[in-house]
Amino acid sequence: MSVATRLGGLDRNSRIVGGIGTVLLTLTILSFLVAPALTGYLAVAFALFVAGSYVVDEENTARFLLFVTTTSTVLILAFITVYLLVNAVPVVREMGLYLLVGSDPFWDTSANTYSLVPMMWGTFVTTIIAALVAAPLGVAGAVFISEIAPGWAREIVKPAVEMLAGIPSIVYGFIGYTLINPFMQGELSLPDYGSLFVTGLVIGIMALPTVVSVAEDAIASVPDAMKNGAGALGATDWQTTTSVTLPAAFSGISAAVLLGVGRAVGETMAATVILGNVTNLPDPLMDVFGNTITLTSLIASQYGAASGLQFSALFAAGVVLFVTVMGFSIGSQLIERRMRQRLGGEQ
Amino acid sequence: MSFDTERSSTDTLVSGDSSTRELVSGGLVALSFASFTVGLLALFQYLPADTPVAGTTVSTLLGAALTVVGTGVVVLGAASYGGLFETEPGHTGGLASAVFVGALWFAVGGLVGAQTLGLSTAWPVVALLTGGVGAAVALVAREDLGVTLSAGLFVLLSGLVVVTGLVGPGWRWGPENFSVVLTGAVGVPVIALFAGLVGAWTAARVYGGFGPQGRQTGAYVLVGTNAAGMLALLVSVVGFIAVRGFGPMTEGIKYGLFWGPWTWFNPPLVDTWVILEGPIVWFYWPFVMEGYTTVGSGIDGILPAIVGTVWLVVGAVALAVPLGVGAALFLTEYADEGRFTSLVEISTNGLWSTPSIVYGLFGLAFFVPRLGNTNSLLAGQLVLGFMLLPLVVITSRESLKSVPDEYRDASAALGVSKWETIKSVVLPASLPGVITGIILGIGRIAGETAPILLVTTSDPFPAEVAGVIQGGFRFTSAFPFVAVPDVNLVQSSSALPYQLFAVIGAGLGENLDFAWGTALVLLLVVMSFYAVGVASRIYFRRKLDQ
Repeated sequence: MSVATRLGGLDRNSRIVGGIGTVLLTLTILSFLVAPALTGYLAVAFALFVAGSYVVDEENTARFLLFVTTTSTVLILAFITVYLLVNAVPVVREMGLYLLVGSDPFWDTSANTYSLVPMMWGTFVTTIIAALVAAPLGVAGAVFISEIAPGWAREIVKPAVEMLAGIPSIVYGFIGYTLINPFMQGELSLPDYGSLFVTGLVIGIMALPTVVSVAEDAIASVPDAMKNGAGALGATDWQTTTSVTLPAAFSGISAAVLLGVGRAVGETMAATVILGNVTNLPDPLMDVFGNTITLTSLIASQYGAASGLQFSALFAAGVVLFVTVMGFSIGSQLIERRMRQRLGGEQ
Repeated sequence: MSFDTERSSTDTLVSGDSSTRELVSGGLVALSFASFTVGLLALFQYLPADTPVAGTTVSTLLGAALTVVGTGVVVLGAASYGGLFETEPGHTGGLASAVFVGALWFAVGGLVGAQTLGLSTAWPVVALLTGGVGAAVALVAREDLGVTLSAGLFVLLSGLVVVTGLVGPGWRWGPENFSVVLTGAVGVPVIALFAGLVGAWTAARVYGGFGPQGRQTGAYVLVGTNAAGMLALLVSVVGFIAVRGFGPMTEGIKYGLFWGPWTWFNPPLVDTWVILEGPIVWFYWPFVMEGYTTVGSGIDGILPAIVGTVWLVVGAVALAVPLGVGAALFLTEYADEGRFTSLVEISTNGLWSTPSIVYGLFGLAFFVPRLGNTNSLLAGQLVLGFMLLPLVVITSRESLKSVPDEYRDASAALGVSKWETIKSVVLPASLPGVITGIILGIGRIAGETAPILLVTTSDPFPAEVAGVIQGGFRFTSAFPFVAVPDVNLVQSSSALPYQLFAVIGAGLGENLDFAWGTALVLLLVVMSFYAVGVASRIYFRRKLDQ
């Protein structure tokens, strides 16, 4: 269906409201991009027009306004994408592929040489550790809440997990910095303050509530009829869980793990505070008790002093992060859609 | 359910036997959990492994307990195999259990190969060998022999290693290629944790009488421990911060009743002032009522950070709630499922998962140059509003979907227009869910540090509150005779989570107590939003179910 026929479907009033409103709003947004001083006046003009048209034709104005709010998410995502990419262009033009595959020196501000390899390695290692923590424990927690727990236990554990999601990341970082880091240095003789291992562990605990909540939704969406069938065949509850419920909810659970991993990739403050943030690879490479930097903590620890090419390199780090997390997000959505189709309808 | 009745019928057939088994294996489960708990306490150095207890050490006691559990489990398994107990073992331990036990023995083989035998490159061979044997025993032998033997010997071995002092106080091991040195103070508790869990799992399997029932009991023990662990995590994080932060947070609180003037007036005719006096409540809480003292010895406070957080949250809510609720309304009430809705859905979920630091970068590149080229509250409000938006859309949509279609149909049947229906029927019905979602979202953005670090903050230890509103409503002599207060959002400010980050960044040193106090206030603010949100959701859901 073309745009013209769609517009044809709307009556004359709504076309007028929508047309003038869209023009005014577009002008407002454009003015913010090129001449922010004018934005205020245009916004007032838009508001006056909307108010007037609401008095004249409530129905169509409301519809138009709701449509505008709906496009806001798409617009914001588009703006974020564009501004990240545009700001990352200089460093990509300068460094080229060295940005992604470069070797020593990785990050030298005096020589204006930038490679994101240590940061990507740091993010990779911490995310793997975090996933090893969050995935099994999170899925087990979800199974407990939706399948095993008696009523009273569920009433306690479920809100507790939700509260756990509320602890701010800087608080986890603070605990890691003041308690776990000294512990690791004192008891395990770590040479530096902070390590990938502790960071991954803390981030894993932070991603745990996400995995639990989403996986629990997935498990709860398995139709009762399927479980009852297994029960009628004489299976124990646990047999039902492992051989019917979990396989049926498998895609939903993987979506939960993907979302949790996405959270772990983007976790900033805990990594910034706990890690040493040295822009070099750990030596030897596999030393998880060593120190390096993650993509997120690179941005948080260097944005203040950065300018020129270094500033652009931070945006390149942002692009890598953004693309990775988007991949996880879209992947989990595709999986979830497949699961909904397989289980049939909105059950 | 059906198994309970079945088991009671077997109980009547073989009285005595299974109750001995349950008694012994139940005791072993309890002993395993005791080792697990003591191991946890030892790991966090509340009860270090070398603490002397009744002529011996915690370490030795842990080893002894694990030895008992390991031996007991093996003996019980052998007794079941020999027909002393009435059990229902499967002909195999099951693939999942075999993989689990195999992984344990792989770790044992790897550690022995690398540490005891000192093989630098060949240790995987040993590990694979032991792991394979461990898994094979659990897989091939009948369940009551295989699983108990393989898992029980693991526990037994762990116990023996600790009780003989092979791994004990004074033990040190620095694995090659890892910058870490393991000592007995950490090694013993870690062994106790793992072996305790494995012991509890195996003993619970015996308790359930092997077979499907035994597997269920074993799995429930592990899954239940995990859930209890999450509860313990929440309680210990909140409790620890509360204990450390309460002192600094409440330092210098002064309050009391004072006799003072309430009001005074000068009535006509009588040429004296009449003063009404009464008790006045006076309350002074320096930590939340003052800024950071730059000079002198006053108590450092976090008022600027609190005010900053309030402004940020207010602005973000004012931006995100109309946009988010509007989008949710359009998606549920107007839009047909199609390309447009799935595009909106993908971008909403995409915004939800976008890392906070990326929002910060975006704000730094997009808003800061256009809003006075300085870090500002306004930029922070916009960026946090963008972060809040997807949460509001997702939760409002859920809530709108749960409004029954009958409501809409009934309203339409009365001849009410669509927008009127939405305004007066749909939105009010979904309001509890929408508000709950907003409250939870506020909890999340109030604790967000990364974006405001980039776009809002500048001074790590502010003494003054950001003066957003200057002047007040007042009447003036010139047209238009009233002056409205000056609202200036384009100025930098602190915020609670940033305040905590700033203290850490400046080096804790003498500010350690100040940091704990800040952490507690931050946690209280965020957690109270979450508590209210979660509680209201439970309340309204229960009301809906009635």
